[in-house]
Parts: sequence; C-alpha cells; structure tokens
Amino acid sequence: MDRRDRHDELLAAFLAGHLDPAAARHWDEHLLECEQCWRAAREDRAGRQAAQALRQPVPPGLADRVAFAVEVAAAASAGAERRPRPAARSRPPGRHGRRRRWRLAGAGILAAGLVVSLTITLFPGEHRTGNVPAAVAAVARYAQGLPARGQHSPSGGSPGAVEVGRPVTVTAGGQRIVLRTWRLGRAEAVVAVSGRPFPMPARARGLPGRGMAWSARLGKLGLYCLNGRTSELVAAPVPAARLAALAARLPLA
Amino acid sequence: MWRAVGADHREFLDATLPYLEVVWQVARQAAWDGQDPEDLVQETYLHAYAGFGSFRGENTRAWLAAICLNVARSQARQRRRRPLEVSGPAVLDALPWTRPDVAQGAADVADAVIAGLDAEEVSRCLRLLPEPQRACIVLMDVAGYTAREAAETLGCPRGTVLARVHRGRRRLAQLLAEAGVSHGSS
Repeated sequence: MDRRDRHDELLAAFLAGHLDPAAARHWDEHLLECEQCWRAAREDRAGRQAAQALRQPVPPGLADRVAFAVEVAAAASAGAERRPRPAARSRPPGRHGRRRRWRLAGAGILAAGLVVSLTITLFPGEHRTGNVPAAVAAVARYAQGLPARGQHSPSGGSPGAVEVGRPVTVTAGGQRIVLRTWRLGRAEAVVAVSGRPFPMPARARGLPGRGMAWSARLGKLGLYCLNGRTSELVAAPVPAARLAALAARLPLA
Repeated sequence: MWRAVGADHREFLDATLPYLEVVWQVARQAAWDGQDPEDLVQETYLHAYAGFGSFRGENTRAWLAAICLNVARSQARQRRRRPLEVSGPAVLDALPWTRPDVAQGAADVADAVIAGLDAEEVSRCLRLLPEPQRACIVLMDVAGYTAREAAETLGCPRGTVLARVHRGRRRLAQLLAEAGVSHGSS
C-alpha cells in the first residue's frame, strides 16, 4: 500500500467515524488547514449522498417471484440424485462460440431435468413418458399452489373476474412469464402471459379453427393456450370441457 | 455449520429472503445495460440456492451480495462489455461551494449536485467508475453494508475498501458536477 492509499484510507476512516478520538481530532485540525483534504472530504460527502439517493424500495411481487423460482428449482432437483441447480434462467445463453454451445448444452440438460422432475413430482398419476416443456411445467406448478397463494383483493379485470394476490413474474425455459391468479365464483384459474408461444406438451391437442391454440390435461389441471400477439396459458383444476368457457370469462388480451 | 446438500428450500428462503432488499439495491446497480435487475435478483437467489448446501452461514448478507456481484460480472463478461473508465479534470470548482468558515449559508456541494441531477444521472455516472470503486460504493452507500461486510463480500482488506469507496465517491461527485455544468450551460 503506498502513501496515497494510506492517506485515502485514513481520511475515509475519519469520515466514516472509525478513528479513535485522538486521531479524529488530528484530522479535524488538519482539514481546517489543508485545502486539498478539505475538498476531498466535501467530494466524499457529495458522492456518498448522491449514491444514497439511488436506494429504491423492493418492487412488489419480487419476493413472490424469487420464492417461486426457488420452488421450481427445488421441484426440479427433488427427483434428481444430484445437488440442486438453477432451473429457471433469466436470459437466453450468451452468443459467443464455445461458451454458447456449452451454455446451450447445459440449458438443454437443465430443461430436460426440470421437465422430467416436474412430470414425476407434480403429476405422479400421469404417464411419465409425456413431454412437458419447462415453461408449461412452471405454470402448472404455480397453478397447483393456488390455495396457498395471496389473499382476496379485487383489482379490476373482466366482469365477474377478481384478481387474487399480485402478479408474479418468472423465467422458465427461457421464457419470461407473468402469472396472475383470478377467481370466478368458486373457481380459480391462473393466467400466464408470455411474449413467446408456450410450447405444446406432447399429449396436448390442437384446437381446430383457433390458429395455434391447444389444450392439455396434466393431472387434475386443465391447460388452455391461446397464441396471438402474446401467448396466454390458462391453468385451472376444472374439466377440459369447461376450460374454454372459463377462459372466455377471464381478462385475456 | 455445514448444511446437507439439497437442503429444504423453505429453510433457504427463511435464511435469505430477509436480505432481499439489499440484494435488490446491489442488483440495481450491478446489472449491465439492458439487464432487468429483477432477473439478476432471481438469478442470484437461484445460484445461492444451488450453493446453500456448502454455505457456512456466517454472514448471509455478504454472501448474497458476493453472489449477486459475481453473477452480474459473469454475465457482463459474456456480453464482452466492460465498464468505461473516464479520466477528466476535477470541475468541482465550477459549482458554488465554499468552506463554511469562509461563507456561512453558502450552497452546499452535495445539495447542489443532488438537486440538479436525477437518479438516472447518478446511476449513469456511477457506471463510469472503475468496477472495484463502484462495487464498494454500491455495497456501502446504496446497500448500507459496513466497511467490514463490504470487505468480506469483495474478499479484500477493510482498508482497501475504505480507500476505494473514498476515491469512488470523489470521482462520482466530480462526474456529477461535470454533468451539472453541462446541463446548466445547454
């Protein structure tokens, strides 16, 4: 450490109130005499106050989002024999050469692990040969937790539909997904919205005359997906025959 | 205490969610341009969960901040973006500041700087600092860590943290003063 480092360290310690009384008194006297150090002290204070002004409250829903992402990761690791790894990624892989290939390979393995684990963990009654894409599995996982999430809080929506709790944003399978829970009478449904189409699970069926729309059954959950400018996936524990009617009453785009 | 690998995720959330606020403050400043800080927070918690089995639990706050900074750094490296370092003249003289023993009640530098510049400008200037200085400022001034905690997070001596945060603050004030001058003259 050179003399300048030592000087800066001592001045910073003085400004932070870390020096003993004798040393602090020395610096007090020094600052009154030394123009350079006085300026340094003023600049330190200005910089500190400016940086402190950057503090912002945590956005509503971030805690839910984090907790949900960890739950998904935990569910993904529950069926595997290896240690837990992140299951949901916040961004697509990098774009350069070998790293990208490694990341793609890793993401593929991770997504496959998530799909298999969620299929096994969440839908034990289903045939395990079915393929559930990570984004769809994440929505289904969230929909399964409906009774435990949020409190009744009216906040608009289509007539009759009441939003429950707050929206949660999560990234799974490379898709950024916003999840909202709606209550219609005694039924509750999750509406997941993404800028990218939700991939069709292997056992889903396309809906004739509705473009890329599809529906599927996962355990007790019915899934109903509409693909337009955005992709919307409705998940609710209702019979498939009722799902389209339920979706029609929800505030879809 | 060492935890078993694959520890209950509820235990993990109980131990780490109380520090969401500080992780958020760090993530907001550590995220590179175009990266959503909320994504960085989520990624931080997923990395932390993956490593929770081997975490000793000595200082969860410092541990989470270190992960957040590492994730941000790693992702920034993947984008091959580096912090821009700017060297320029100290222009604090351009602002109306004086020593209190010379002119009572004169405008304060910090007040003048902060009053004239919004948070976006402060954030932009903060990004111009060398990464080690920026990390110290983010941890101590934005997230509210002590110098000791910041030193633990960054893996360097406390004195080094103090020196870096001091230089970083000074440079930040100078950059803000520059920005304030240019705004005022346009």
